[in-house]
Amino acid sequence: MNRRDLELLSSDSARLESRLASDPGLRAVLDDLRETRSLLRRLPARKAPRNFTLTRKMVEKNPPMPRAYPAFRLVTALATLLLFFTVGLNALAPQLASPAPLYGMGGGGGADPEVFSAQAPATEPAAATEAPAAEAPAEILPLPTEMPPAEDSERIAETPAPKNGIDEQPAGRAGKPAPLVPVTWQALLAGIVVIGALLMLLLRQSAISRWRR
Amino acid sequence: MNEQALIQDAQAGNLDAFNALVLHYQDSVFNTALRILGDDDLAADVTQEAFLSAFRSIASFRGGSFKAWLMRTVTNACYDELRRQKRRPTVPLEPENDDGEEIDSPRWLADPDMTPEQKAEADEMEHAIQHCLDNLPVEFKSVVVMADLQGMDYSEVAIAVRVPLGTIKSRLARARLRLRECLQGFAELLPASFRLEEGTSLG
Repeated sequence: MNRRDLELLSSDSARLESRLASDPGLRAVLDDLRETRSLLRRLPARKAPRNFTLTRKMVEKNPPMPRAYPAFRLVTALATLLLFFTVGLNALAPQLASPAPLYGMGGGGGADPEVFSAQAPATEPAAATEAPAAEAPAEILPLPTEMPPAEDSERIAETPAPKNGIDEQPAGRAGKPAPLVPVTWQALLAGIVVIGALLMLLLRQSAISRWRR
Repeated sequence: MNEQALIQDAQAGNLDAFNALVLHYQDSVFNTALRILGDDDLAADVTQEAFLSAFRSIASFRGGSFKAWLMRTVTNACYDELRRQKRRPTVPLEPENDDGEEIDSPRWLADPDMTPEQKAEADEMEHAIQHCLDNLPVEFKSVVVMADLQGMDYSEVAIAVRVPLGTIKSRLARARLRLRECLQGFAELLPASFRLEEGTSLG
C-alpha cells in the first residue's frame, strides 16, 4: 500500500490487514481497486491544444479589482437591503400598531370619539351588574365576579378611567405613529449605501485607469 | 519559477506574471476539464474561461495551494458547463463511419511515438476509461480526476472541492468501485496486466 492508502485506512489498518489476510475475496477487491487506480493513471496526459495565456483585450472589460472591492460591495449590498427592509417596516408600522376593535369587528372604527366615550360607561356597568345576579361561584367564573358590584357601577361611570383609555386612542390615530426604526438609522444606512457606492465607483475607475496605463 | 512572486505580481495586476502561471498550469487545468467534460473543444473553452475568471478574482486568493485554488475555479466552470448542457442539450457533430461508430481522432494517428496498433489500443482504452468516467456522478468524477489522474493530495482535493477530507475519501472509494465495475465491461480492451477480475465483490 502506498502512503495515501495508509492515510485512508490509518484508523484501523491493523484490523484491516488481518481481515485482508483471512478474506481472499476482500483482498481481490482491494487489488482490483488498486489496478483501477493504476489504469486511470495510465490515461495519457494531453498537452493543452493551444496556449491559454490572456491578452489585454480579453481582460480589459473587467480588470482585476483591489482586495477591498469585494468588502465594499458586500457592505453596500447589505446596507441597501437593510435600508429597504426598514423603509418597508416603517411603512407597515401604522397597520401593525392599530388596535383590532377600532378597525375590525363591531364597526367602532368610524365612530366619533366623543360618542364612543359617552357609550362606553353605559355598557360596562350593565355587564358588571349581571355578574352578581347570576350567583356564580368565584372559582368557576373568576373574571365576571371580579367586576365591581352594582352599587359601585355609578362610581365607575363617574370615574375618568375609561376616558383616559379612550383619550390615548385618538391621539394615536390623529397624529402619525412613531416609526419602528428611527429615521436616524435609516439616514445612517442611506449614508453607508451612498458612500459605499461612491467608493466602489472610485476603486473601479482607478483600477481601469491603472490597467490601461 | 517563483510561484509566490508571480502570484503577488498577478494580484497587483501584472498580466505577464499571471500568464507565466497559465503556461505552468494549463496542461493540468485542460486535462481536468477534459476528463470531467469528456470533450476536447468544451474543455478548451472551459479552460480559457477558468483562467479568465481566475485572473479576475486572483485578489481573493489568500495563500495555500495555488493549484487547488485553480482547480476549484476549473471544476466550478465545468459544473456550470454541465448545468448549461443539462438545460440545453446538444448533439455532438462527431464524424461517424457507416456503422455509426465514431471515426478515430486524427490526433492519435498523428502521434509519432506509437505504432498504429499501439495508437489504436491506447485510443480504445482511453475511450473505455472516459466512458466510465462520464457515467460517474459529477461530484465523484471531479474527485477521482483530481486525485487519481492529476495525482493531487487528498487535502488539496478537499480544498479544491470545498468538502471535508473524510468526504473526499469516501467519494474516492465509491468512485473507484463504480469505475471498477464499469471497466469490467471493457476487459478485452484493457492491457493484459490490467484485466480486472470478475466476480469479486465486497458482499
